Amino acid sequence: MPWLTPHIATQIVDFSSAMLLLTCFGIVAQRRLSACVDLFALQSLFLAMTAALVAFLTGTPHIYIAAALTVVVKVIVIPRVLKGVIERLNVTRELVMKINVPASLLICGALVMIAFFITQPIIPFGHLLTRDSLAIALAIVLIGFFTMISRQKAVTQLIAFLVMENGLFLGATAATYGMPLIVELGVFFDVLVAALIAGIYTNRLQDAFDSVDTSRLTKLKE
Amino acid sequence: MTGFNANIVVGFLLLAPLTAGWLSLLINGSRWLHVINLISIGTLIGAEGFIARAVFSQGSVTAFADIVYVDALSSVILFIIGTVGLACSLYMRSYMDEQVARGVIAPKRLSLFFFLFHMFLLAMVLATVANSLGVQWVAIEGTTLATTFLIAFWRRRESLEAGWKYLILCSVGISLALFGVVLMYYSSLRVLGDVSSALNITQLQQVASQLDPHILKLAFVFLFVGYGTKVGLVPMHSWLPDAYTEAPAPVAAMLAGVLETVAVYAILRCRGIADQALSSDFTGGLLALFGLISFALAAFFILLQHNYKRLFAYSSIEHMGLAMVGFGVGGPLGTFGGLFHLINHAFAKSLAFFAAGNIHRRFRTVEIDQVRGLIAVLPWSALALLISGLALTALPPFALFASEMQIITALSSSGLPGEWSEPVTRLPVVLLLFCSVVAFAGFLYRITGMVWGPAPNDVAHGERWSMGHIPIILLGAVLAGFCFALPASLRRLIEMASTLLLSR
Repeated sequence: MPWLTPHIATQIVDFSSAMLLLTCFGIVAQRRLSACVDLFALQSLFLAMTAALVAFLTGTPHIYIAAALTVVVKVIVIPRVLKGVIERLNVTRELVMKINVPASLLICGALVMIAFFITQPIIPFGHLLTRDSLAIALAIVLIGFFTMISRQKAVTQLIAFLVMENGLFLGATAATYGMPLIVELGVFFDVLVAALIAGIYTNRLQDAFDSVDTSRLTKLKE
Repeated sequence: MTGFNANIVVGFLLLAPLTAGWLSLLINGSRWLHVINLISIGTLIGAEGFIARAVFSQGSVTAFADIVYVDALSSVILFIIGTVGLACSLYMRSYMDEQVARGVIAPKRLSLFFFLFHMFLLAMVLATVANSLGVQWVAIEGTTLATTFLIAFWRRRESLEAGWKYLILCSVGISLALFGVVLMYYSSLRVLGDVSSALNITQLQQVASQLDPHILKLAFVFLFVGYGTKVGLVPMHSWLPDAYTEAPAPVAAMLAGVLETVAVYAILRCRGIADQALSSDFTGGLLALFGLISFALAAFFILLQHNYKRLFAYSSIEHMGLAMVGFGVGGPLGTFGGLFHLINHAFAKSLAFFAAGNIHRRFRTVEIDQVRGLIAVLPWSALALLISGLALTALPPFALFASEMQIITALSSSGLPGEWSEPVTRLPVVLLLFCSVVAFAGFLYRITGMVWGPAPNDVAHGERWSMGHIPIILLGAVLAGFCFALPASLRRLIEMASTLLLSR
């Protein structure tokens, strides 16, 4: 394809990584839990797209496997599990927030800048195609981390954890064109099991506390 | 070496917990579950013995096309997994059966308990023998997943809370470590080219000096924070006291004795690679500084505790901090002391949790104030509590005294590494000694209060002999014995491991 110059290829990869970051902000701004799950599924779809693009542009076939697994695990299976949990729990919205939405968005903006600042010294070493994606990946990890701290519903915390995992996966794809296959399979397995376990937990928490609001988990104090 | 096939031995090492775990799910009846458990642990220890022998003669063992790599350092960790695992298995016989008899758990759930226990063992063994840093990460996350339901096993509100907190905090922490692994891979790919072995410890060690220091610095910080969460270093420790309090006693012993050690091992592995490209002052300074902070803060938290299991949990943070100081300061003495301290702490802490489990079963409370006159109520457990308490406060004649002295000597002779040493040469030593006195006073005050005094009347007196007493006596004897005579083979193993950590 003659029109696909390296410059344009870089632009395409950058664009789809940027979409991942955008969905991150969507999750931070969204109070409805089911919408958060949808946004997470959308983000995972973008992630799979980015991975497939990198696989196509660089001719590394094993990234296709990771992309396909992303679609199966993170776009289909985990969102379904989460939807089921939300339905059973009968909670639809995150009502109380420690930090309100505008402030959260501002903080996340700052986190993106921090991520670019941290990765500045190591970006020049990267592959030409994906080097800016590493900064975006770190930004997504940090935003996931922040969401985890600032939200109280168990389901939102779980989504935040999965967002972090997405950021890490983008980082692995961007920086190194994917980890060795055995590692990637292991990571997928861990994420899937972690999501299932957390789903079981939310059910048990609901039974024991009549709530999935983790701010009620205050029995264990000094 | 003749007659040694690495693939077969390592296969046994990994297959023993795997098959035992799945078998446990199929079996009902506690007797067979315990038998399978003991066979599995026995196989594990046997395989470890063979591997250790091969390590002595060859220096290192690789198996399964370089997927598995064992050297002296991993052998030391395997030794801890095996011995503490065996002690826990013996202890579980009476402990779990009593819980079933009392109706705390349904007999069917015993299978689940053993399944999770074996998966926990498997994940830890895999984390220790994995050659690839990526596989090691997967296995350490695996330990989180296997143990979260073990911590929440009683299904009370508090245990659910502790389990959830543990799952979330450790998963998040370890995600940061994965970013470190990605960065490590990023740097090694630039040297090694696109090969699937670029994350292997054996490969990384060869090319470590050519890796880019900027990337490695960032990678090590992420790895340290991630695995440090698992070790329970301050300020990432907040899951630890809750988890140790709520977990069943044998699980708490495994968490405190073995899991923390495995996480320390992961940090040491990464450090071995990072050190060759960076100056060891950077990594050492990071380790020693966080170790010192953990040690100091935990010592003061020990004073505040009124729950004996939390007391032990904070003492874990304290001792892991001390071991970190040892590794951070480095030198032959500090490194040897650090490794020796890991072993001693694993033994002393599992002994402490066994005693705590016995006390909890009898008194039905974890409040220190409500436990009195143990020496009359449970004489053997009282003795175990005293021994572990004296050992954990590093009094002679217990082995922790020896290792703590080694670490303090190393610190006072060379000071904190790097830029931290210059302005305040003596301060860390003074701080360390002061805090250990604080911890000593707080710890002994609580424990002597529990052991002596008038026993409450509503508690049954006397202690029946059970299988659970075997590990208690053995561990107590070992703790006292190691201070005077360290078995020659173990000493050699630790020395080989510290040479590995020092060579750069």
